[in-house]
Amino acid sequence: MPKILYIEHNGKEHVVDAEVGKSVMQNAVENLIPGIVGDCGGACSCATCHGYIDPAWEDKVEPKNDGEEAMLDGALRVESNSRLTCQIVVTADHEGLVVRLPASQF
Amino acid sequence: MSTAGISWDPYNQDLTKNPYPMYKRLREEMPLYYNEEHDFYAISRYADVEATLRDRDLFSSAHGDILEFIKAKSVMPDSVFIHQDPPKHTAYRSLMQRIITPKRMYAVEQDIRALCARSLDPLVGGDRFDFIANLGAEVPMRAVSMLLGIPEKDQTAIRESVDARMRTEAGKPIDIANQQAIQNEALAGFEEYISWREKNPSDDMMTELLHTEFKDPNGVTRKLTRDEISNIVNVVAGAGNETTNRLIGWMGKTLSEHPDQRRDLAKNHALIPQAIEELLRFEPPGPFVAREVMREIELYGKKIPKGAVMIMLLAACNRDESRFVNGDTFNIHREARPHMTFGQGIHVCIGAPLARLEGRVAMEEVLKRFPDWEVDYDNAVLSTTSSVRGWDSLPAWIGSKPKNYVAPKPAAAVAPAPAAPAAEVPLEGTWNVVVKGPTGPQPAVLTLERNGNTITGAQSGAGTTTPIADFKRDGNAIYWVNHITKPMKMKVEFKGEINGNVISGKAKAGFMGSYPFTATKA
Repeated sequence: MPKILYIEHNGKEHVVDAEVGKSVMQNAVENLIPGIVGDCGGACSCATCHGYIDPAWEDKVEPKNDGEEAMLDGALRVESNSRLTCQIVVTADHEGLVVRLPASQF
Repeated sequence: MSTAGISWDPYNQDLTKNPYPMYKRLREEMPLYYNEEHDFYAISRYADVEATLRDRDLFSSAHGDILEFIKAKSVMPDSVFIHQDPPKHTAYRSLMQRIITPKRMYAVEQDIRALCARSLDPLVGGDRFDFIANLGAEVPMRAVSMLLGIPEKDQTAIRESVDARMRTEAGKPIDIANQQAIQNEALAGFEEYISWREKNPSDDMMTELLHTEFKDPNGVTRKLTRDEISNIVNVVAGAGNETTNRLIGWMGKTLSEHPDQRRDLAKNHALIPQAIEELLRFEPPGPFVAREVMREIELYGKKIPKGAVMIMLLAACNRDESRFVNGDTFNIHREARPHMTFGQGIHVCIGAPLARLEGRVAMEEVLKRFPDWEVDYDNAVLSTTSSVRGWDSLPAWIGSKPKNYVAPKPAAAVAPAPAAPAAEVPLEGTWNVVVKGPTGPQPAVLTLERNGNTITGAQSGAGTTTPIADFKRDGNAIYWVNHITKPMKMKVEFKGEINGNVISGKAKAGFMGSYPFTATKA
């Protein structure tokens, strides 16, 4: 179970023992991390699981597909390291992954 | 445990006012409920609703998300994507997701604020304010018009006509049918506008609808057709108007009953976004949605057959105590936790960013002007349909109440709900008609009589009954005309095909365009 560090916009940190095979969003929502909503439950249809992947990890998680690119294009507060966390499936290699959360998901 | 007395029926008017005690019993005592009379199943626990909405293969939207539509095996054009499964749904939804974006919604925040101000400023200094007539029926409709880029001069014409129609007699609830006519009017003349916008592109949603290419369900890359644009706009605008209107009504009612929390919000506007989430959880404008079960399944030890209708009680699961502590209590300070009001999965509400924005801005603008109010329940009207529950009229005292005013008592005038379909029978008799209009399903009752080879009859809807004309049957093709007088004088032509006990086709409503309808033998 790799550990993922979620950092809320106010700086509050949450470490989660993440379940491999579930998304970064699911792991956050199931552990009640404030700041990730995930309205659509992982269907890449709502852009309310937005997170900023730590630059050190950007190349180590699976890349964006067209659907995610299109959703991020219309999302708020997007940065170069923005991702929809429902589109990143956790693997054993993700030990220590750091995800910062935006001020608001909507 | 005794489960006596557990009964939930979307048409039961007694449950409209306060369905929550029954929802609690369903969650706790009968998490899988079966209604024999209308032949549907219902689930009410958060985890069950969540799992069901996420499983798009097992729980289909191909015949819609409303009980009557699924029962009638209703079929809609591909572009009505709320009414489709993948891959048809995917093609149109992904196109619309590129157009209805949070970024586009937030870009118009100041314009929405100005719309609220325009509705609210004339009321400052007065004693009363109706959350529906003065705000809910106006702002969402105008916001959608604005996003679609309808020119200001046309918006003004629409607004003036709206204002003229909105004038109500003192002490009387506003006429909901009238309101719907106003919304229809705002969408009327659309064809003309589309053509104009095609020649005069701007940065609005209509321009994007006209010019954006997408891969259609057959894999062809192309632009939307006029019919597709018209269907999409009707669904999206209708859904956006009606539900946000209801959200604004629930805001008025709930904050009237929680003055301490209302004062917290008036003092600290930073609490408003979480208050909107709590309001959405506590009183969802769309309290339930339905799906068709695609293969036999077993749940809580009971077999559910293929083809059954499953209703997901969003309003019930939003108060599931295993997820929301003291779920039946409204508390803007509760720990933030996602609710189910916008649904889940591929059909999650595409307008959620706009609803949240409009809710937040409306609450801010109301509280700035009227930090205190009390609902006048004697003159408030609550109604429910197959998809929406909320206030048709919600007047509130914002100033001094008359001296002889008596303590408020809850009102619960309930609009008629369509009955469910039954077994197959001949043409003569009663048919429950549902027209999927731009503001949601419009129920009507068609009564047919046979005189030799001639069929005559009458149709009731919006509180009036008018005779029908020119009823014809040619093979399976059915045609009739209904000259309605409410919400406005208009000739409505029904053209459909009969299939067993269901007639489905299109209703052409004068200049307002064609809308799908189903008529099911009662």
